[in-house]
Amino acid sequence: MLGIRRISTNRWYKKKNWILFAIFLFLVFVRISKGSFYKDLYYFISKPFWPGQFQKEIVLESIDQEYLIKLNLLKKDNLRLRQILSLQESSNNQNISAVVISRKTGSWWRQIILNKGSKDGVEIGNIVIGPGGLLGRVKDTSLFTSSVTLVTSPESKLGVWVDRIQINGLLVGLGDDYPSLILYSKDADIKVGDFVSSSPASTLLPSNIPIGIVQSIDETLKSKKTAKISLLAKPHVIDWVQILKVNI
Amino acid sequence: MGANFESKYLMNKFFSKKLSIISFIFIPIIFLWHPNWLGFLGVQPYWPLFWLLPWSMINGSINGLIFGLFLGLILDSLTLDDSFTQIPGLIFCGFLFGRIKFHRDILVGHFRYGLICSFGSFLCGSLYFLQILVRNFSDSNFLILIPSLKNILAEVFLTGFFAPFICSQLLRMFKFSRRKLQ
Repeated sequence: MLGIRRISTNRWYKKKNWILFAIFLFLVFVRISKGSFYKDLYYFISKPFWPGQFQKEIVLESIDQEYLIKLNLLKKDNLRLRQILSLQESSNNQNISAVVISRKTGSWWRQIILNKGSKDGVEIGNIVIGPGGLLGRVKDTSLFTSSVTLVTSPESKLGVWVDRIQINGLLVGLGDDYPSLILYSKDADIKVGDFVSSSPASTLLPSNIPIGIVQSIDETLKSKKTAKISLLAKPHVIDWVQILKVNI
Repeated sequence: MGANFESKYLMNKFFSKKLSIISFIFIPIIFLWHPNWLGFLGVQPYWPLFWLLPWSMINGSINGLIFGLFLGLILDSLTLDDSFTQIPGLIFCGFLFGRIKFHRDILVGHFRYGLICSFGSFLCGSLYFLQILVRNFSDSNFLILIPSLKNILAEVFLTGFFAPFICSQLLRMFKFSRRKLQ
């Protein structure tokens, strides 16, 4: 019994000396690489517990809350001022949520079909918005569906407002993803990054609906300036939209 | 016994006739479905040509012309652009496809479908684009030029790419239903 124990304790390193050699090589590697392997491993293990990440989330949440409060205050302010000026107002009670059931956002036809129709109170001319801003206008309704002409359609022509330079323009769909903004003034100081929203003078849209951002400017024409607009609402990925029943 | 046989024969005949009609009904559905994963640069193949080519090749120019008109009417009703129509392109393609003879070599035939459909798609796309151009002539028509060319070329490529697979299958189906009818 004792003999057996002695044999097993004395010879284990002789049987597994290749493991010892491997560990030695690994330690040599660690030494040469100055512990970079451990540092990288630690990086991944400790990542969820970094204080910076957590703080960032708290800060972002606070900023979101701040913006929401500001937005509500501005909405109330806007409503009050519109009442003073006797302008028409829009109400959230008249919004209809709808799902996109067919989407043609490439090629010639730029349209989406929604799962809400005349049965649900959708009417021709209603405005359709998605996350980001304006998508288009309802062009046709059936009992259960409604078809929306997108802002990018060659059929679409809308009055828009460039807030920074306080000027009205015409947004024309070209059949690609970037509609063109036409400003009938050569002196208009439009810049890349300018924000475009629906015009207060428009007879088709309620005012102040976000539309897009100026992406590039073309100044080759003599009498007018044109700009490509990058839309804020992306019709090729949006699944849920809101139909606004607004009388302008 | 006789009546049973007759009703079976009539059912068979009706189903065989239906084969081409069922596939015809599916065109607007696919046109509306617009599967993004089949697209290239956001553009889809021009679906109605896949059906129109075999139909016109089997039934001749006049039939092709008539069904080109039918397809144009249905597809125009599905799209919202009131000012532009797909009818001229589809009528012309239907008539043109009816004058094409079958090729003896099956493999060459397959590639021919691709080329013919590409040409048809180019024709339909160009006619549609011309309408947009004429309509917007007073505005900035040069702005429409580049995206429209992109649309036409992508559509031509995709239609030509899928045509050999789809057209040959539909042609086989239509021939089969025709043989059964006779």
